[in-house]
Amino acid sequence: MPSAIEKQVAQFGDDEYRETAELIASYGHAMDDGEIDRWPQFFTPNGIYHITTKENHEAGLPIGIMRCVGQGMMIDRVKAFHSANIFEPHSYNHIVGHPTMSYDKATGCVRARSNFQVVRIMETGRMDLYATGKYLDVIQKEAGSLKFRERIVVLDSRNVDILLVVPL
Amino acid sequence: MLTAPHPSSAPAKPVLDFKWPAEGIARAPYRLFTDPEIYKLEQDRIFRGRSWNFLCLDVELPKAGDYRTTTIGETPVIVTRDHDGKIHAMVNRCAHKGALVCLKKQDNVASLTCVYHAWNYGLDGQLKGVAFRNGVRGQGGMPSDFDVAKHRLQPVRIESFCGMIFGTFSTEVEGVEAYLGPEMAQFIKRNLDRPLRILGTHSQTIHNNWKLYAENLRDSYHATLLHTFYTTFKVNRLDMDGGIILSDEKWHHVSFARRAKLQEAAEYSDAKVHSANYESALEGPRLLKAWEEFDDGITHSIQTVFPNMCIQFTLNSLAIRFFAPRGVDKTELFWIFLGYDRDTEEQSQMRIMQSNLTGAAGLVSLEDGCINEFVQRGTRDDPGGASFMEMGGRVAESEKNSRATETAVRGFWQGYRGIMGF
Repeated sequence: MPSAIEKQVAQFGDDEYRETAELIASYGHAMDDGEIDRWPQFFTPNGIYHITTKENHEAGLPIGIMRCVGQGMMIDRVKAFHSANIFEPHSYNHIVGHPTMSYDKATGCVRARSNFQVVRIMETGRMDLYATGKYLDVIQKEAGSLKFRERIVVLDSRNVDILLVVPL
Repeated sequence: MLTAPHPSSAPAKPVLDFKWPAEGIARAPYRLFTDPEIYKLEQDRIFRGRSWNFLCLDVELPKAGDYRTTTIGETPVIVTRDHDGKIHAMVNRCAHKGALVCLKKQDNVASLTCVYHAWNYGLDGQLKGVAFRNGVRGQGGMPSDFDVAKHRLQPVRIESFCGMIFGTFSTEVEGVEAYLGPEMAQFIKRNLDRPLRILGTHSQTIHNNWKLYAENLRDSYHATLLHTFYTTFKVNRLDMDGGIILSDEKWHHVSFARRAKLQEAAEYSDAKVHSANYESALEGPRLLKAWEEFDDGITHSIQTVFPNMCIQFTLNSLAIRFFAPRGVDKTELFWIFLGYDRDTEEQSQMRIMQSNLTGAAGLVSLEDGCINEFVQRGTRDDPGGASFMEMGGRVAESEKNSRATETAVRGFWQGYRGIMGF
């Protein structure tokens, strides 16, 4: 009879690790390729997306910079991006570090942390280091594919340059 | 031919060769946004002059020994709470060599010590001790007439009003409440005169002169034209009535609006908290779930206090915006999102969701992060040009029935001209 540890390893082995790392990587690629319409689909229907600062996060303060609870609010963000908000066109390039993960047997979710740096590229050609921080993710399988149940984006800096309209 | 200057006989040169256009406050010369000499003069005449400057909130310094750093204009400032609970403010500049004494945004300390030569100050800014004052092994040290009591961090006069701490370098300016005037003070009391709770903060760098943001806050004309979130999502705002109140000196203002629908909803609900169902095309309608907090029917307000702060109350989203000049073409805009101690969990949740409306990523406000930069970039090569602001007339007067006016922007310039002597 396999021990509890062996069981856990069986439920979360190399394949699962690879699959989860793949989700984290493809999220960044989708954002960088301008596929903002796909953004809500990376989440479960009730998924949470929250951008905050390290200062707020460590102080346990609930308001950060952006907070979506459920795909509906994410779809509204996307719609606002296309038709309501006004900003200078720009794109991102995400560099996401190697994720660390732990498997929570009770919920069947994976908790992952990865660091990121995002360079913002303006139409003029100017490139700036726009954001650095960490992703704190809760990932679960839904209808056969992995989704974010929660993605907390913790920015190292309190300061956002100009504005934030494309999710990080 | 070169002639040597004769300082004694030379005519007094004006501080600045600048003349306001004859059209008055309906014009703002573009030079005001780009000229480093004007920027320097503003530091003197406004920020170190006859104005009250927002420093921080009382709740940011809950314990004895807490300090918080900020700026008045470009001058670095420390705010402390001493062991008697008294709040002090002082310039963050050591009396010895001028180094910054406090480096963190906030901390809790027994006393203030400059890291350079360990000069040590009490929480009130008074010098307490000097390292090696008597020298080392009888050699060196301060002259025998050196008196610790004669040195301190430069004090800043402070006053607390509705949980906000204001500071000034002026000995002449009246108290904060008189500086605000009765109508402004009353509206601040409506919004802040009860125990406050900070729900979150962040800041945003905007690449424009600080006065462009000061104008932008007072510009009720642009609100529904630039910020199309409301119309895009068919959130009904056509029934909103509102107006603008200016202070006596015209440089502070309140712009307010009422949603009639909210009032109707209040009539058939006994509950203290009820949601207002906005007719919207939102997929996530809980973004705008709100309750009526006040019985005056006002559901949206923006209130400015000259020179560089604003209190926002959008539905239930209460926030202080403080915009600190960081150079002639750069401003750091701070967002302090607030709730009240008395808020229920449900009310807090509504404030949290509504915080999506404003801030650096605000669905209704993010455009302000770039629009002022567009003006900065559009005008920087034309210092002789001027903006044209005649919407709603050419003077600065309160307008209690309409917000289709630039009256508050003109009011800012009226106050600015006064304090700058332009």
